[in-house]
Amino acid sequence: MRPITPRGFRDVMPAEAAEREAVCSAVSSAVSSWGYERVETPVVEVYEILSAAAGDLQGTAFRLFDADGRLLALRPDMTLPIARLYAARMADEPGAKRFRYEAQVFREHESLRGQSRQFTQLGIELVGVGGPAADAEVIAVLTDALTASGLRDFTIVAGDVAILLALIDAAGLGDSWRAQMLAAAHDRNLVTFDRLAASASEPIADALREVVRLRGGVEAIRRCRETVEPLVGGREVARFAAMWELLETAGAAGRVLADFGIIRSFDYYTGLVFEAYVPGLGVALGGGGRYDDLLGAYGVPAPAAGFAIGLERLSIALADQGVSVPLPPAPVPVDGPAVQAFAEAARRRAAGERVVLADEVFTGEVDR
Amino acid sequence: MIATPRAAAGGTRPLRIAVPKGALFAGSVDALRASGLDVAGLSDPGRQLIIATHDVEFVIAKPSDVPVYVAYGAADCGIAGRDVLVEAALDVVELVDLGFGACRFVVAEREDAPDLAERYRHLGVVRVATKYPRIAEAHFAGKGIQVEVVKLYGNIELAPLIGIADVIVDITATGTTLRENNLRIVEDVLPSTARFIANPAALRTEPRVVALADRMAEASVESG
Repeated sequence: MRPITPRGFRDVMPAEAAEREAVCSAVSSAVSSWGYERVETPVVEVYEILSAAAGDLQGTAFRLFDADGRLLALRPDMTLPIARLYAARMADEPGAKRFRYEAQVFREHESLRGQSRQFTQLGIELVGVGGPAADAEVIAVLTDALTASGLRDFTIVAGDVAILLALIDAAGLGDSWRAQMLAAAHDRNLVTFDRLAASASEPIADALREVVRLRGGVEAIRRCRETVEPLVGGREVARFAAMWELLETAGAAGRVLADFGIIRSFDYYTGLVFEAYVPGLGVALGGGGRYDDLLGAYGVPAPAAGFAIGLERLSIALADQGVSVPLPPAPVPVDGPAVQAFAEAARRRAAGERVVLADEVFTGEVDR
Repeated sequence: MIATPRAAAGGTRPLRIAVPKGALFAGSVDALRASGLDVAGLSDPGRQLIIATHDVEFVIAKPSDVPVYVAYGAADCGIAGRDVLVEAALDVVELVDLGFGACRFVVAEREDAPDLAERYRHLGVVRVATKYPRIAEAHFAGKGIQVEVVKLYGNIELAPLIGIADVIVDITATGTTLRENNLRIVEDVLPSTARFIANPAALRTEPRVVALADRMAEASVESG
């Protein structure tokens, strides 16, 4: 039998594993310095508990039946398991809860797309507080986490789905049109988006076409407000602007680009959404957002936001930017007869050295 | 999978644009020229597959590979038919309808075909041959018709004639090939034209992609 791994799963060998460990530890300590506490959840969840909050996960979640005939799913992200954990065990506790995690997640993919079905996410969830300050904290933590990883050049692109949703709802063209607009925005199909937008009244159609393309700094936020406020009010944009101000105070705004056309692939986002990019890499390193309705699905409505960074993508970006991950020194070999070698190795380890018993130690007789 | 990131030579990376060879090639070159790019190298590429000007690299690709290059970030942007995009179902941003390369996806059957509805009533399934299994499946699923899809790689018109399928789903510009093979169009599936597409990350981090999209949109409106 040929020992192979299933498609889309792979082993991590020592050289890569050492670098991953170092990157994870740098990111974890940056996140931890904001008061986030580590949690672990099971690799499998009950499928219907995930789908109750996230909608249909067919084609996304890796599903399996257990011996009781119960449909389970390997966790497709950590947001759903942590929401479940919070709802089941912490919902009565008042105030903000800060979770961090480092976890393998699993996604189903078609054959021959060259995609992994298992990857590692480093992330946080901030539950129990909302509003611009909570949004700003999440983005500031992401900025710190990426900086701590050693990454030199990255951009966080941030928007707010509530702005597009408000415009779409204000058009009042019914559920089917609304669903088609959202699908076009999701599929990033601006041609169809524009064509559908044309059915709305002229000011709303113009605003939709403009907002979905609007990106930049303070100027873009001001422009968004001018466009949106007369039509649907300025509450959502004001919230975004307030967050931006806090990011400037935190010194993180230089890393952030506002983009009001950004929509992420899970359906549960209700406000802030963002993705992190590095130049030349054709995919986002990670991203996240606010999902204030998610916990409502578990009967404990509470504001929540978070992000996840893909460790494998982060490693590619670090290699591309020529960042050498600081690794522990190679172990010093200790030679000689076994008894002396064990004693010598113990002494040097106690002194803080990294040592390894040389192969010769194992070939001689153990004899005093 | 992610394409190997391209190193920045002397500060800025050249913008890489995937250009489809074949039926959309001439229209693509015109559209790129109209948007102000230097396309001299594309007019006679010979066997060269990468054509570099000082700030742009054109990659000449098989049409169905264009969305793959763009989705994985090997090219920042490109031109692809709507047909190919729907079939590929990859994560690319569709920015501009360029208007050229118009064709229709149709369902066609033999002119002397037995009544399909009758056949369906007895056999419960329609056999469909196509180069576009995803589009064909979605179309018939939307109508609640059960189908068996056979993927073929060329000369789809042959399929009903040699009996491997009852109908075909294929693209046609004028319908001539279908008529010459004694096939008739049963219904339209979806219209297709060439689209300017971009990698989502490039769109967000590379202002040149946005600027090019704007110029492409203007030029395609002017040429009507």
